[in-house]
Amino acid sequence: MTQVLSSSQKATSHRPRRLSDGMFALLLTAPGLALLAAVVVYPLVTALITAFYKQSLVEPGREFVGFDNIVDVLSGDFFTLLSQTIVFTLGTTIAPFVIGFGLALALNTKIRGAKVLRGLMLVPWLIPGVVVSFLWMWIFNANYGVMNALLESVGLIDAPQAWLADPTTAMVAVIVAKTWQSFPWMMVMLLAGLQTVPPELHEAAEIDGAGTVRRFFSITVPQMSGIIGLVLLLEFIWNFQHFDIIYVLTGGGPAGSTETFATAVYETAFDGFDLGKAGALGLLWMVLLMGLVVVYVRFSEKGEKR
Amino acid sequence: MTALLTEPTAVASAQPAQPPRKRRVRADHRAVTVSAWVAVVVFGGFALLPVYWLLSTSLTPRTEVFSYPPRLFPSEISFDAYLALANNPALFGYLRNSIIVSVITAVLSVIVSAYMGYAFSKFRYRGRRSLMYFVLASQMFPQALLLITLYSVFAAYGLLNSYAALVLSFTTFTLPLCVWMLKGFFDTIPDELIEAALVDGASRMRIIHSIVLPLAAPGLIAAGLFAFVRGWNDFIFALTLAGPDKQTLPPGLVNTFIGEASTAWPELMAASLVVSLPVAIAFIALQRYLVGGMTAGAVKG
Repeated sequence: MTQVLSSSQKATSHRPRRLSDGMFALLLTAPGLALLAAVVVYPLVTALITAFYKQSLVEPGREFVGFDNIVDVLSGDFFTLLSQTIVFTLGTTIAPFVIGFGLALALNTKIRGAKVLRGLMLVPWLIPGVVVSFLWMWIFNANYGVMNALLESVGLIDAPQAWLADPTTAMVAVIVAKTWQSFPWMMVMLLAGLQTVPPELHEAAEIDGAGTVRRFFSITVPQMSGIIGLVLLLEFIWNFQHFDIIYVLTGGGPAGSTETFATAVYETAFDGFDLGKAGALGLLWMVLLMGLVVVYVRFSEKGEKR
Repeated sequence: MTALLTEPTAVASAQPAQPPRKRRVRADHRAVTVSAWVAVVVFGGFALLPVYWLLSTSLTPRTEVFSYPPRLFPSEISFDAYLALANNPALFGYLRNSIIVSVITAVLSVIVSAYMGYAFSKFRYRGRRSLMYFVLASQMFPQALLLITLYSVFAAYGLLNSYAALVLSFTTFTLPLCVWMLKGFFDTIPDELIEAALVDGASRMRIIHSIVLPLAAPGLIAAGLFAFVRGWNDFIFALTLAGPDKQTLPPGLVNTFIGEASTAWPELMAASLVVSLPVAIAFIALQRYLVGGMTAGAVKG
């Protein structure tokens, strides 16, 4: 994309203006900035401040307690939440990446119907998160679910499982549902990336006798390293704070086995009414997230400067 | 902006290799085709079988759903579930709320992000880059955390359980994507056009409204559709900030169907399909801008 600079300055010098271009531009951004300040910045800052107060959602007033909440959280379930959040996030980043990349590669070949298939594969992505949860809740249903029937018929399980009620399988079920929703986005992004790989590179390598696998690792992957890094990073950041599917599918249960930072913060605030503890948990969560966000912005800036 | 979802630039017909390598190359190509099909069947099954199950359950008679093992094809096609939805006035309330909130979000979001995107695209001033990345990074803050005080903020202004609370929240969260996407569209409008208009004496506002916005119309529509979908799909804000009479479909459906003694699966699946339709239509309309917008919002301008 072309970067056009300084042309407006040139043009403006012709006539006197009440407002400099810079001021005018800032004015144009004002409504958006006001929204961001009111809906993102202010709530974020105040939420982080509540970490240092004993404060309830339903009662007025608050009391400064220093680091009590944070100590409470750290000596409580913080590390369980951290490991569950990481398991969920890694699972829902890697699995969609593998599926999305596999499909992108397959549909980038000249197989018949590739174009139609590309469209069809997007369907799970078009489905709202809540519906994804309903659908997988039904598929994983302990009594009448089709997942049990399928796995029994191929002999992988002996008896129907209560997937969502068993702490050991609930996380897997949640990851499967989220993976189903996210792999199409991965596929689209990686397909776009694949199409930027110059075909000449492959042709030259093929003439030199490089096989498909060799070409994949020596040409495709290095050429796409930028987009691969980007999709993995974005997906990781998004899933690190994902809420909808977990909350509807399991509500963090059974026995807290699918609880992540997102559901725990929400439930602490809106079911437990404990804003102080929710804020403390949120503060620790934010510290971890900020690290990721900094990496992401660096990444984007690199792209912009190119 | 390059539309990247288009056909791959015709992979120039591979030059036939020298005779000794020909056979290996051909075997290689066959292996590629076979593995491509394996990937399509396995992953495609994972992608589409649940969709089939959604559709099939919604058309299964209610009594037949509660049998194990489930029938892959319903013994008869029944539209009872859809009729039951049509006779449920509460659902129409949620539907109305969803439409009102999503449409206002779309309009407001296009207005706000068009000005912002234009300011990022065609002007150079101190702090521009920082602002752009601030907008981009704002989508990274966890909403569950924002909500714990946003709730009190809206309560303080008497906006709890109002469309305004939902519209303001949704609009804000569409800004990163819409602003960056529209900036991409404005970048493609030649500066000469704007300079010529300035020389002709048009005001800067006039230039935006009479020259830039009409040229970026496809981008505005795409941004509006994205914002509509954002409002339509949201769950956590509508669940928290709105009561039953202002709630949109996603939390409305959860309240209606989940947690009952025995879930009415055919009805829930039918409702799910109905809720998904507008999103699917919006995305089909958007297809051209999909990847362009996504990569613009995600990586670069």
